[in-house]
Amino acid sequence: MASRGLTQTAFFVLVALTDEPRHGYGIVQEVDALSGGRVQLRIGTLYGVLDRLAADELIELDREEAHQGRLRRYYRLTDAGEAALSEEAERMAEGARTAARRVEGRRGGATGKQPPAASPPHGHVRPGLAGGGA
Amino acid sequence: MTSLLEKRYRRVLRMLPASYRAQREEEIVDTYLQDFDEYEQDELRPTWREVASIAALAVRTRTGGAGAAPRHVLAGATVRLFALLSILLHGARELTDRALALAYVSGAPARDRDLFLGVFDGQQGVLSGVRETLLWLLPLCWVAAYAALLRDRRRTALVLSVLAALPALMFAVDWATGGPVRIDGFDIAFAASGWLTVLALSCAFHSDAPAARLPAVRPGLALMAVCVLMGGSVVLWRDGADSVWSSGTVCVLAGVLWWAAALVRGDRRGRSGEAPAGEASAGGAGDPAVPLALALLSLVVLAERTGMLALLVQSRMPASYLYAAGAQAAVLAGLVVALGVAGGRLARRGQAPLPTREESGALE
Repeated sequence: MASRGLTQTAFFVLVALTDEPRHGYGIVQEVDALSGGRVQLRIGTLYGVLDRLAADELIELDREEAHQGRLRRYYRLTDAGEAALSEEAERMAEGARTAARRVEGRRGGATGKQPPAASPPHGHVRPGLAGGGA
Repeated sequence: MTSLLEKRYRRVLRMLPASYRAQREEEIVDTYLQDFDEYEQDELRPTWREVASIAALAVRTRTGGAGAAPRHVLAGATVRLFALLSILLHGARELTDRALALAYVSGAPARDRDLFLGVFDGQQGVLSGVRETLLWLLPLCWVAAYAALLRDRRRTALVLSVLAALPALMFAVDWATGGPVRIDGFDIAFAASGWLTVLALSCAFHSDAPAARLPAVRPGLALMAVCVLMGGSVVLWRDGADSVWSSGTVCVLAGVLWWAAALVRGDRRGRSGEAPAGEASAGGAGDPAVPLALALLSLVVLAERTGMLALLVQSRMPASYLYAAGAQAAVLAGLVVALGVAGGRLARRGQAPLPTREESGALE
């Protein structure tokens, strides 16, 4: 898992478990809220992700309760899960920062300002020629 | 009281393995029903999206996904190895077939060469030329799919496999569009072998599955060896009416002999105490997935042989062809049974730890 990175669904499930242990439906609702409705977990998908995260020891069983005669399991984030989530969040933040820099550079180019040499506004400039000389 | 929706949903959950349901069913049902008010539960059915998500979970757990029972882990390893070996066989077959065709055309009399090239050059219409060219080239995508899968580019391998398997369905397209077509058992077996491979690839190489690895041999060497075996068998049996297809038998037989030799060698070393730890590890000769995958491969080739045998009988071919094709079918049927029994015994004896996400490809 770690080598392949977290999928978007796994990421949101881990985020949903950061503040408190949750059961299946609680996770579905929390992921829906966290993602602004963009990620709507189907039950098969949810349990596939929970199985995988549990096998990778990123989450674990917190407790079991009876609810209307049926079993309800609560899951919690492990230390390894927190570390994986933190790593993924940092990776995404770095990606977001890079994107923001590039967008900023592009806007700078469009308004006549010179973009930073290290981040050309378009991909059309050959790396060896960035900054002039051609 | 159990609502109709709950009953319907539990029916959908029967797609999941019993062992998985024993652990999860109540929890899954509880999670699912939370979304519905009690009064509406008798009027609703699970949506197709929910059913599809459970079906995907069922496929994943039956092919060794996280949370799968040991026998499903073995099933997943078997199907993955079958998919890889089948792609190798298809790729080598198409490569050899075209190499031999080009070798023949380059030295053939001008009339034969023109006949061959005339199919592609649009003399019978541009569309016909494009179609024939695609039908000739697309099956070579098996080779690219083989390379992609061994580089763990699963989606690319799947797309390439679908492209490679498409030409086998042309008879169905012709039939559906009212074109002249004669469908026989061989066509069906040929198309089925390609699409079964695609199905195995798409089901067993889920995100929990380990990367594909050939046991003990380098991928390029394996492809070359299979091509040499196929080309050799065609050259040696020049007059065979279905020489290219017969070579599938040769390759399966060679694979089985190689596995049996490795198994015997491993047993000897094990008895003399020379075997290193993990000798019978996943992917090794003692791994039940190897004979079981070879049994599946033999079964697919047997289906093709049987289809071809029926075609030879219909075409009133000389008895020697029928005997040769019949003998191959008999050998393959024997292999299917023997390999199935051997795989079952290895699995029961538990000589090998069941394949894991880190399953090794070493046979030595």
